[in-house]
This record gives sequence, structure tokens and C-alpha cells, in this order.
Amino acid sequence: MDEVATKIIDILKKNMNEPSDSIALETPLTELDIESLDLAVIVFDIEDTFSIEIPYNANEEVEDFATVGSVVDKVKSIMSEKKSSGAAA
Amino acid sequence: MAQPKDRRRVVVTGHGVVSAVGTGTDAFWTALKNAECGIGRFTLFPLEELYIHIGGEVKDFDPKEHGLSKQFLLADRYSQFAGCAAQEAFAQSGLELPLQGDKGYRAACIIGTGIGGITTMEASYKGLFQEKKRATHPLTLLKTIGSSAAAHVSIEYGITGPCFGVVSACSTAPHSIGLVYQMIRQGLCDLGIGGAAEASLNWGTTRAWQAMRVLSPDGLFPFAKGRNGTVLGEGAGVLVLEEYEHAKERGATIIAELKGYGMTSDAADMVNPSIEGASSAMQIALDDAELAPGDIDYINAHGTATTINDINETNAIKRVFGKAANDLSISSTKSMHGHCLGAGGGVEAIATLKAMEEGIVPPTIGFDEPDPKCDLDYTPNEARKRDVTYAMSNSFAFGGLNAVLVFGPPPA
Repeated sequence: MDEVATKIIDILKKNMNEPSDSIALETPLTELDIESLDLAVIVFDIEDTFSIEIPYNANEEVEDFATVGSVVDKVKSIMSEKKSSGAAA
Repeated sequence: MAQPKDRRRVVVTGHGVVSAVGTGTDAFWTALKNAECGIGRFTLFPLEELYIHIGGEVKDFDPKEHGLSKQFLLADRYSQFAGCAAQEAFAQSGLELPLQGDKGYRAACIIGTGIGGITTMEASYKGLFQEKKRATHPLTLLKTIGSSAAAHVSIEYGITGPCFGVVSACSTAPHSIGLVYQMIRQGLCDLGIGGAAEASLNWGTTRAWQAMRVLSPDGLFPFAKGRNGTVLGEGAGVLVLEEYEHAKERGATIIAELKGYGMTSDAADMVNPSIEGASSAMQIALDDAELAPGDIDYINAHGTATTINDINETNAIKRVFGKAANDLSISSTKSMHGHCLGAGGGVEAIATLKAMEEGIVPPTIGFDEPDPKCDLDYTPNEARKRDVTYAMSNSFAFGGLNAVLVFGPPPA
């Protein structure tokens, strides 16, 4: 597992009542005892950690938040978009 | 919970409203009947670093134009809204004001707020922290405290009895109205003004709300499949309540009777509402009113247009009303005036009273496609004629704080 994934899993664990050691990329977020407000806090932590902004509305079901791996992919894609737009500027 | 038969009855003799769809009941109600939306792009503050750009602002509000006294002109916008709404409500009541002597002690002034003069505080902190000003304005504290609206109204109208603000987020107004109702019923007071005011639309508060990820960037579409969050509003809604014999004796025009009041707490979660809490508040209000579910014609729903609230409220209504739920007219007028937070239930109580008075149910606008999980009659998009004899107004706040009012016709 790479650094981005490790950091995201650490953030998830920090926000769980009983952090599990068996979180994998394919683990669905629904299995992690995470509720809507927890997710807002988790997204906030991820944004802070990676200095990015993640579009997220608690009222919408978004595929990006289906599994741990999809969150990692989303963060990576935002980071690379930021990098390329930064390079162009 | 049966009440003694000789209990004091509480009637409404005045109401006043400030909202994004109008200041004053006439403008407000005309807009609601005509399905007009007061939600638009924010103009009160810069939009930089915001991805939420819309709200239900009270447009071009000028306290001087409304003839408010100097004490209100120096107050926070939230108190000015309260002053404006109180002025309308008291004028309608026909009471001789300010109250004199013992009459003042027999009156209550309970005007709450979700968060008080937070825009005053924001400007003050900006001055201190960013602009390094040498001091804050001397009235900063008095403008900010959440009891200032109640205090200002008591000063204006000589209300020397119980006076304070209530704080319960989006249930503040019905909690305040319910407290006045109980004080009158128990004999502590003969009349009072109850409700709430909110003017928390500013840059910092919008940042805080958008961080919760519950706001819609598009609009407030309650119970609709396409709903994607709530939209902040502001305003005030207050009622003048009076003991029935007291109102009758002075020949007051009685608008309605406040028949029942129910309050509960979910005691479960700060944001996820429970069916138990919401349904028990509705049931307690019905029992207090000594009414059966089938008696209610219209519910002004909490209807915030968040995914969770609207499903939970629908299920709670079904639990209380059973088969009668299908005969109810329901609507969320928030779709037009936005979510007025602490003031919400006060503004909505006035929509409820007007629905009864005119036999017109205001609509839920922006209702494109029904959500299969919200399958009651939400009066989509257009107002509907219907005799409304008894009506309910629901408020369910963050923290699981629930307050429900039930209104009926003036006593025969």
C-alpha cells in the first residue's frame, strides 16, 4: 500500500469508534461504522492532510466514497489535477 | 395525557413575520400562495472561497423604513427582525401598548434565536484579528447576546413579566411559542409574545455550514427525488398569544387557538434524526390538543430537503397518523423562504395560521419527481384549496430536539 492509502486509512481509523486492523482498499465505507457527520470530518481531515479540496455532499450517494480504494483514487486524481493545473499556471 | 376540562385556553391574536419572501404577513403569504421562491444569490457578503452561493436573504431590509425605534436601530440585524415582527404582531393584536402597571407583569416575552448576533461578532473579530483595531464597538456584546431580541422587545412594549431567549437550533421558535402557551395556560401570565429571530447569514457561518456538507448549491427541494440538501435563510416569526377570556373581554379578533404543544428529545445523535423522537413529539401535541390524527388537515413539515430528514419525517408522520397520513395535506414552505434556522418554526407557524384562515395549503416548490421513500401528499408546486380546521407545524432540530405545535379554529 502506498503513502496516500496509508495516510487515508490512518484518518479513517482515527474517526472510528473501534478501529479495525483489517481495512483494505476494497473495504466498503459502509462496513466501517462511519456515519454522515463522521464522513464530513474524514473528508475535512483528508483535505487538510493533502492540501486539496474534495467536492462532497452528504445528501448524495457518490461512487467516490464507496470503498477505501475509491477514496484513495479520488484523492490521487485531485492531487494530480492540482499538480498539472499548478504547472500550467 | 388528558387535561382538566376547566383549563385556560390560549388563542392567537397577532402574528408578525420577516422573511426572504416578504416582510409582513400580507407580502409573505401572497408569495407562498403564488409559489414564489425567495432563494437567490447571496448579496450580504463576498462569495470568495465559498462553493455555496445561495440563500434566503431578507432583501433590502431597512429598519428605519419599518419605523423601528432608536434602540432597535443600534441592535444587531437579528434583533431588528424581531422588532419588526413584534411590531406587526402587536399592531394586529390591538392591545394597548406599552403595557402599564400590573398588566406588564402578567405578560411574557420569549423570543429565542439559534445563534444571536453572530454577524456582529464576526465583524468585531475581523476588526480585532485582521485589521488590528484598537477596540471593539461598545455595543458589540449587547448586540451579540442571544437574549437581546427578547430584551429589546420587552423594553419597547413594557413587558415586565418573564422575558428571556430560548436556544434549540431549528426548534427555537416553537419552543418559545410553546413556553408562552404553557405560562398562559398555567395562569402565570395572561398574554405574551413568543417566537424567534435569526440573521446568521455571513461569510464565516456559511463556511461553517458548507463544511458540514449538508447545503445544496442549487435550491431547497423538500421530499423530491432530486433534493440535495438544505438552503440557509433568515428572518423572524412571532405570535401574540392570549388567554381566551382575556382576549374575548377586550373584544380582540381571535385568529386561532393554540391547541397543543409537544416537545421531545431524540437523545441519540447530533445529526441523524430518529423516528421515535419526531413521532412522539407529534403524538404528545395531538394528545395535548385532545385531537385524533384524522382531525388534522394540514402539516407544515420541517422538510429541510436533506436526504435523511425528509425520509425520517415521512416515516414519523406515518407512524403517528397511520391510514390518516394519506388524507393529510403536507408541505414544506422552506422551499420558498429557505431554512430560517431558529426562526423557522415561527415563520412556518404563520404560514400554518394563514392556511387555516384562507383555506389554502401553500405548496412545496421545486418538486420535480417524487422520492419513492417519501410517498405522502406534499402539495407539489402549486397551492391547493382545502378547508383547514386543524393544522400542525413540525420542527426537528440538530441534536434531536423536537417541537410541534397544533392550531385549531377560534373557540366557538
